[in-house]
Amino acid sequence: MGAWKGENELETTVKSKALQQFQEATETIVNPELKKWIEQGGKVVGYFCSYGPEEIITAAGMVPIRIRATGSTGTELADAYLSSINCSFCRHAFNMGLQGDYDFLEGLVWLNNCDHVRRIYDNWIRKVDTPFTQMMSLPKMTTDVQVEWFRDELKILKEALEKHLGITISDEKLWKAIKLHNQTRRLLRQLYELRKKDNPPITGAEALAVVVASTAMPREQFNDMLKELLEELSDAEGITDYRARLMIVAGILDDPAFIKVIEEQGGLVVTDSMCFGTRILWTDVNEGASDPLTALARYYIQDKPACPRMFDTQPQRSKFVRDMVKEFKVDGVIGERMIFCDLWTGENFMLGGDLKEEGIPFLKLDREYIMAGAGQLRTRAQAFLESMGR
Amino acid sequence: MTVKGLERFKQDRDALQFAVQGFEQSQSPERQLTVALVKAILDNYNRIIASAEEGKPFIANSYANAPELLAALNLPWYTLSQIPYLPTSEPYILDEIDEAERAGLGTDMCTLIRLGINNVEAGRVPLPTAFIGLLSLCDGTNMLHQAIAHNKDWHNIPVFCTDAPYLESERSIDFHADELRRMVSFLEEHTGRTLDVDRLREVIEESNKQYELWAEYNELRRAVPCPHSAAKGSQAWSVAQNYMVGDRRGTEWFRQLVDITEQRVSEGKGSIPNEKIRLFWFDIRAIWFPEVTEWLKAEWGVCIVMDMTGYAPYTLIDPSSEESMFKGLAKRNLCDVPMVRQVRGTADTLINDLMMVVKDYKIDCVVWPAHMGHKDGAASVGIMREVCRDLGVPFLQIGLDLFDKRYTSMDEIKDRISKFFTAMGLG
Ligand code: SF4
Ligand code: SF4
Repeated sequence: MGAWKGENELETTVKSKALQQFQEATETIVNPELKKWIEQGGKVVGYFCSYGPEEIITAAGMVPIRIRATGSTGTELADAYLSSINCSFCRHAFNMGLQGDYDFLEGLVWLNNCDHVRRIYDNWIRKVDTPFTQMMSLPKMTTDVQVEWFRDELKILKEALEKHLGITISDEKLWKAIKLHNQTRRLLRQLYELRKKDNPPITGAEALAVVVASTAMPREQFNDMLKELLEELSDAEGITDYRARLMIVAGILDDPAFIKVIEEQGGLVVTDSMCFGTRILWTDVNEGASDPLTALARYYIQDKPACPRMFDTQPQRSKFVRDMVKEFKVDGVIGERMIFCDLWTGENFMLGGDLKEEGIPFLKLDREYIMAGAGQLRTRAQAFLESMGR
Repeated sequence: MTVKGLERFKQDRDALQFAVQGFEQSQSPERQLTVALVKAILDNYNRIIASAEEGKPFIANSYANAPELLAALNLPWYTLSQIPYLPTSEPYILDEIDEAERAGLGTDMCTLIRLGINNVEAGRVPLPTAFIGLLSLCDGTNMLHQAIAHNKDWHNIPVFCTDAPYLESERSIDFHADELRRMVSFLEEHTGRTLDVDRLREVIEESNKQYELWAEYNELRRAVPCPHSAAKGSQAWSVAQNYMVGDRRGTEWFRQLVDITEQRVSEGKGSIPNEKIRLFWFDIRAIWFPEVTEWLKAEWGVCIVMDMTGYAPYTLIDPSSEESMFKGLAKRNLCDVPMVRQVRGTADTLINDLMMVVKDYKIDCVVWPAHMGHKDGAASVGIMREVCRDLGVPFLQIGLDLFDKRYTSMDEIKDRISKFFTAMGLG
């Protein structure tokens, strides 16, 4: 690791077609793979949060995609319904809905994940014509009682989809979908494994593009493309020219450009605790369970790394970050938060205290969904790296 | 015995004591009701202080959470979210908001939540035997509960939060009733108290009487001119849900409230001499309310006929069995509690309440204060505006902080309201 000489573009040394396709997929909502699927008559169902049960949508023969607001340029239409104190992701996403950018969706699934998103449901069902909509009741605790509750919620969703499509979603189909999504998670974890190296072969911005793409296209294709990328990265020369290894802790962060600005200052992002990151890939659904819906409920409520909205999980969430710091040899943690998000205000308040106790440098960064200018971010990232003596 | 966090409680208790003495001089029956409530608050303070000093169990609660159960268990409790509302908090509130910001709680999280977390961080509230919370409200409350559990001083305090389903259904009520049962087991385990079902029945029967009287009172408020301003509605809630829960004194309080209101209505006496505008303040009260309400009255002849806290007397509970009582409490906790009622589930309740209040109370205009904490409400503003448009009633969204009067200055608030009244031809 040489002395840092100034702004630089960290990037993988590998020229990969798959990576390029993933990066392109983060720049638009309907990427070429999804477009192909739709043109062939395939249906797509969106969902709003990392608790969205993708497997059930896949088992119904459709492609699940996580709602993003990529490419949005304004919130004029949404502003008639929402307020300036609403999270900008929600404002942009709803604006796209009003604009018709999500008209290709067959359905949309919500959970009451936060105060902003859950009200998008109320507005959407009144203003946007999406054939199938469903609100699911996601508990805020993670005991067995909640697993049981959420199993019923999954069953309700499954039955509603069956009714809407006039199909049957058998256990066999559910297991098949679970296996497919587990494969995505396993492959993504292999990618994270490579990032543990002293010289990771891929940057944080590139890795984010891969994870975002995993929620945006048919999974079979994604898995094949990721296998290809992993192959290419396996003996790639790693990145050496960085000042510090960073971890990002965040809710919705789907824009690789944000991480790119940080990495341009020399802080290589090697891992994360994010919704487009470890929170959706770090654990698998138990394929050995006897009932697929129970297996899914257990995965979402108890097994996957929890979001701050799950009341009883703060010690686990904090431990998760601290363990990742060790495992990925992280020098400093950045806690990113969307302005007006109360969940992440609280999370960063508590996590900041925990990391301070362990002497782990921590930087809180507030942001808007669409990155307007990189100047302030650049300055904050630089100052953070300098404060760490890097 | 010195107990951490008790100094401020004692200071507040003394200030309340002083205030009661002043109030007692007043002959007005309304003022006497206020005195009765402040005395009950004082009583509560004394019970908490005595319990803390004598090592007896007492509970910290964040908000609501079926206090009938605490009353039946004979457990004193204090409610974190009530503290900023007490007149004794007024001298400190702005400094404490600044302190919360310096502590890293930022500026855009609900100020009530920041004050709650900061009161715990600063050791200004006594360490209870156990803490209970309700997870059905906003994201802020969820984080408040987590921050409390995370605080070093509170690490050894047992915590129980009741989970609350999002959608309203029989299944949700059953789930939440079981959560309340689990909360009772938790309280029994950590306080040594046992829930006596007959005692619970007494508390519930008494609280039913209170809610019946409250409903009667709300009927009377429909009168033109409106007999009282919204302040009495908030007091009604404090009596029924905080300081005289299932308590005969509370029932008596409501009875007197109904009596004096009947009298006023029969005499055609309004809360203000010349009522010109009947306003629905679609939120809870602001702690700086008197400054604006006095001006509204004097300048525009406005009576705040209804607000969120005063609107919903709780559903009566069938006391015939343990099961029916827990179900009834669950329903109250999920569907009746002000704020929870409007915030917890989909926007349907919000819309229904808006329509009912406007029609039943002959409302001339709706003001959505747009408190900076209510992110869910902020995302419902278009829906509210459309509902009001369909009802033909003017709607104003302000944008303020119910706790920090610096967020939007009083002058600006008054200016916005004046322009609105003028533009709508009101007053
Ligand atoms: S960033 Fe926060 S407020 Fe925005 S959608 Fe995510 S959880 Fe909700
Ligand atoms: S005032 Fe609103 S945001 Fe604040 S605690 Fe109450 S419901 Fe939550």
